[in-house]
Amino acid sequence: MNALQCLQSQSTDIFTEYVRDWKEKGGKVLGYACVATPVEVIEAAGILPYRIKAFGHPDTELGDAYLARFNCRFCRACLQLGLDGTYDFLDGIIETNGCDHLRGMFENWQHVKGYEFFHYLKVPHFVREDSLDYFEEELSLMRQAISKYFGVDITDEALLKAIKTYDEIQGKLKKLYALREQARPAVTGAEVMQIICTGSSLRGEDFGALLTGILEEKANASVPPYRARLMLLGSATDEIDLVREMEAQGALIATDALCFGSRSFWARAGGKGDPVRLLAERYLSHLFCPRMFTEYQERWDYILETARRANVDGAVIVYNKFCDLHGVEAVSQRMDLEKNGIPVLVLEKDYGSQADTGRIKTRVQAFLERIGG
Amino acid sequence: MYFAGIDVGSLTAQAVVINDKGIKSFKSIGVKPNPVDSAQTVIEMLLSEDRLSWNDIKFCVSTGYGREQVQARGLAQDNMSEISCHGLGAFWICPEVRTVVDIGGQDAKVIRIGANGELVDFVMNDKCAAGTGRFLEVQARTLGLALDELGVIALSSRNALELSNRCSIFCETEVLHYLQRGHSKADIAAGVNRAMAERVAALVRRVGMENEVTMSGGVAKNVAVRAELERILNIKLVRYGVDSQIVGALGAALIAKRMGG
Amino acid sequence: MTAMAAHELKEYEGLINRLSQVVKLSDAFPDQMSDEGLEGILHFLPSNLAGSMRAFLAPRIRDVSIEILKTYGAWLDSAFRAGEEGKKVFLIPFNFPPEVIHCFEGAWPVTSEVLSTLGVASLEGQGERYWDYAMGLGLPDSACSANMIEVGSALTAVDFKPDVIISDCLGSCDINSKTHEFLARYMDIPLLFLEKTVDNSERGINQYYLYFKTLVEEVEEFLGEKLDEERMREVIGNANRASELYWELWDLHKYSPCPVPNIFSLFLYGIRYTMWGTEDAVKAIEAMVDKCSERLKKGEYPAEMEVARAIWSYTSYYFDMAGFFNWMEEHGITHLGDGLDLFFPQVIDTTSRETMIRGLAEIARNMPMTRQMGASSMSVQWLDDIIWATRELDADCVIYCGHHSCKQTWSGASVMRSELMKRTKIPTLILQGDSWIGRMTPMSALQETIEEFVNNVVKQRRTTVRAVG
Repeated sequence: MNALQCLQSQSTDIFTEYVRDWKEKGGKVLGYACVATPVEVIEAAGILPYRIKAFGHPDTELGDAYLARFNCRFCRACLQLGLDGTYDFLDGIIETNGCDHLRGMFENWQHVKGYEFFHYLKVPHFVREDSLDYFEEELSLMRQAISKYFGVDITDEALLKAIKTYDEIQGKLKKLYALREQARPAVTGAEVMQIICTGSSLRGEDFGALLTGILEEKANASVPPYRARLMLLGSATDEIDLVREMEAQGALIATDALCFGSRSFWARAGGKGDPVRLLAERYLSHLFCPRMFTEYQERWDYILETARRANVDGAVIVYNKFCDLHGVEAVSQRMDLEKNGIPVLVLEKDYGSQADTGRIKTRVQAFLERIGG
Repeated sequence: MYFAGIDVGSLTAQAVVINDKGIKSFKSIGVKPNPVDSAQTVIEMLLSEDRLSWNDIKFCVSTGYGREQVQARGLAQDNMSEISCHGLGAFWICPEVRTVVDIGGQDAKVIRIGANGELVDFVMNDKCAAGTGRFLEVQARTLGLALDELGVIALSSRNALELSNRCSIFCETEVLHYLQRGHSKADIAAGVNRAMAERVAALVRRVGMENEVTMSGGVAKNVAVRAELERILNIKLVRYGVDSQIVGALGAALIAKRMGG
Repeated sequence: MTAMAAHELKEYEGLINRLSQVVKLSDAFPDQMSDEGLEGILHFLPSNLAGSMRAFLAPRIRDVSIEILKTYGAWLDSAFRAGEEGKKVFLIPFNFPPEVIHCFEGAWPVTSEVLSTLGVASLEGQGERYWDYAMGLGLPDSACSANMIEVGSALTAVDFKPDVIISDCLGSCDINSKTHEFLARYMDIPLLFLEKTVDNSERGINQYYLYFKTLVEEVEEFLGEKLDEERMREVIGNANRASELYWELWDLHKYSPCPVPNIFSLFLYGIRYTMWGTEDAVKAIEAMVDKCSERLKKGEYPAEMEVARAIWSYTSYYFDMAGFFNWMEEHGITHLGDGLDLFFPQVIDTTSRETMIRGLAEIARNMPMTRQMGASSMSVQWLDDIIWATRELDADCVIYCGHHSCKQTWSGASVMRSELMKRTKIPTLILQGDSWIGRMTPMSALQETIEEFVNNVVKQRRTTVRAVG
């Protein structure tokens, strides 16, 4: 089985074979939700950093007993899996104040499950010297907390090694994006999302090795014919099926600015010096998330650069119902993209809803007809 | 040389046959549970009435529900979204139209078209009953009126009552309250139509509006909703010279002509 | 979109423009107005406004209401004259203490959510058209109407435009912060930013103080004006006096039947979020305290008996304005206050600039929403605050308004209900609706649900019937 096939065989499992093996060998797993979490610290502790996901899980009965139907369904779905035992392999959780819905999710999860290790990494909403200082201190506290609880010394050397590992991953992911964005794309959007989602459940060293295999396999590949090249932006969405459905209409997702996509790695590399400070600067300064209330310009520059690099014919902004951060951001993004000659389709979606996937097909088809695809 | 379009909606299915001279014929039927069966029935009935055979149809395009399956069954050579089809159909009937407001039984859409009938932008509501024909059905039933009476009776009102327009369930409760308090059906109906029009206007605003504006779909037959929409948006709706229900199928046929002609 | 909005609006419209004209009506009101006089005025007003005024000016609260209206009038009027007087207008969220701005000679605060609430009370169509404009631009309908009504008006470009926006970032919920960010960019005006760390450890509080000082410096730079210690002392002196009066009102709430009219809950935070730090605010609250003391002495209560004492755990409903508050107390349901009344005012040490700024920072981090959002667990903080309030004020039920856009409280509402019952045996009613717009849940449905809750749950639990007198 080649690397991509291996990926596909467990791509939408939460408790994958990989995690099962890891646990059986005595390995520890820490769950986190947000790309503001420097996974290098967890990696350096010899722990598996596991990004909490739901892969469009449709049932939220338990989650709804705590969160409300006015809360984001991605969070309700993750909470569901947290409460129904699916995430019982976690040895602890790192909370981040990504958004109000996530905070609610974490608070209810901890209220019910009561993890012994439940650490709050407090992420500022803006970038300035004093907020960077605060975040650096937060990372130190996170490092100390992990060290103390799991009885492991996270040395600077271990941290620098982990940083190097993720720098290499970043380099490989950029090569992967070059393959998808080139004039004759070699990778589809669904495949990339699958790779990134899977990677977020692996130790960095293993993800790096997997990527090497994938890059080799895909070097001379090509995707099926398509009608138009699109960029996908928006809310945390790990719904690979959604991307597949869009691509089945002929809309190749040639690039993205997604949380389970380029935003999780793009600008984080380079720099020297104290590893904790380095991580603080990388993670906070390049957190391309609408929760960063004073950084729109930087986000916009990154989106435009991505769209131009991939030579897209249009952009689709998908956001989860009740996601106010992306819902409001979408208005500015749409206006700015259209000002720059890039047609936009904005889709508000109910996460995990099969019926919504059907509705989206109609809209995507109409959008493709509109842009002449 | 003939071209055909098939449009399967939530309540009715339409077929239109055109040639170089224009619309040759059209047909509308109530839908069957399976959209492919609906499509097959309506087109075969039309062909039979016209004494045409499938060989006379050079190209056919399907749209609406199950359009891909209709094509897969061999009843059409291609499929297009109902959005593009509605836009083009409306443009053909009235080339001045730039905004099409289509409110059906279970969904609503507003379509902006360009100077050549090309799709410029669109917005849809196919999730929430409020703002679709379903909203009016529920309220009409509560008032004990037939759907086609709802608009007419409202015209005699001088005091449209305030009603919630975000949720048809709450609106139904409010209608009952007003009935219990002795308000006239005319005033309540006027409030219902106004709430409906406000919801439609909200959809129009999302995509922007350019004159001329037209309205199609089952709800377009409600004179009071039309009047309220005109008042809210400060416009005069252009009226079609043909049954607005066939606009989607007409657009599909026009696209068929473009593709196969 | 702007072209379409402008087509539908006239120049004199826009939220601030229109509100300042409406509230100016109160200039013509005598301090003591008769029922006939009131009906005479109402006869000339549009129906929405007449309805609100009728409720606002109910005989039992009329004199205080007139005082409050005049206070709002002064607030809006000053915003209007600000330009002529060389002042800059700051658009602030409700959870940012306006007295900070009042400390500056060259500045005047206008508060987004108070504008929206006043708009809902007094404008024809109750501000819904501004919501429609905001939705027309594509803003999500899960956004908060408290902000969207003001945003919609601002987007039409016919309204009065502020000079700068302060965002309380986190401290504010996501939608509040995001809205202010969006508005600043759309209107092309500066955005000043104050974050509350989700951290009430000593380190977290010190970090907040650092951010707060930086904000003050940014305001000074923007205005070209350094804070004057004497002016600060005067403004904070007024704020301190208002804080003392707040606690007097708080203590008056403890009596049963409650001598504090329901609508005073709204007046109190309306004043707090706009005029705190001014003499007008002190006068207005003094009037409220005097009225309550008088009612206590006379044993007055609008219903035959007080059947329920309710704390509203977050916002209330405003689209029926005073009508809703009055309706409740006419049915014996006391509104002891809501989450927006829990602003924990404290007296600030006015010894020096340093003590005053530190004091203001303390006040700012305890403002409603900031206090809960800025804690490491928003639900735990919220729960603690509500439990404390119910015990202090001897509440026998809690009502959660269920404002649809309030994602942070919705995420904790379920645990709040179960923990409240576990720890205090107090039942919670969870409603659903939009606090500012009636389209989501009509008032009749809300009233029916509240009545059922009070009659079937709360009344059965009360062991003593509290009769008037």
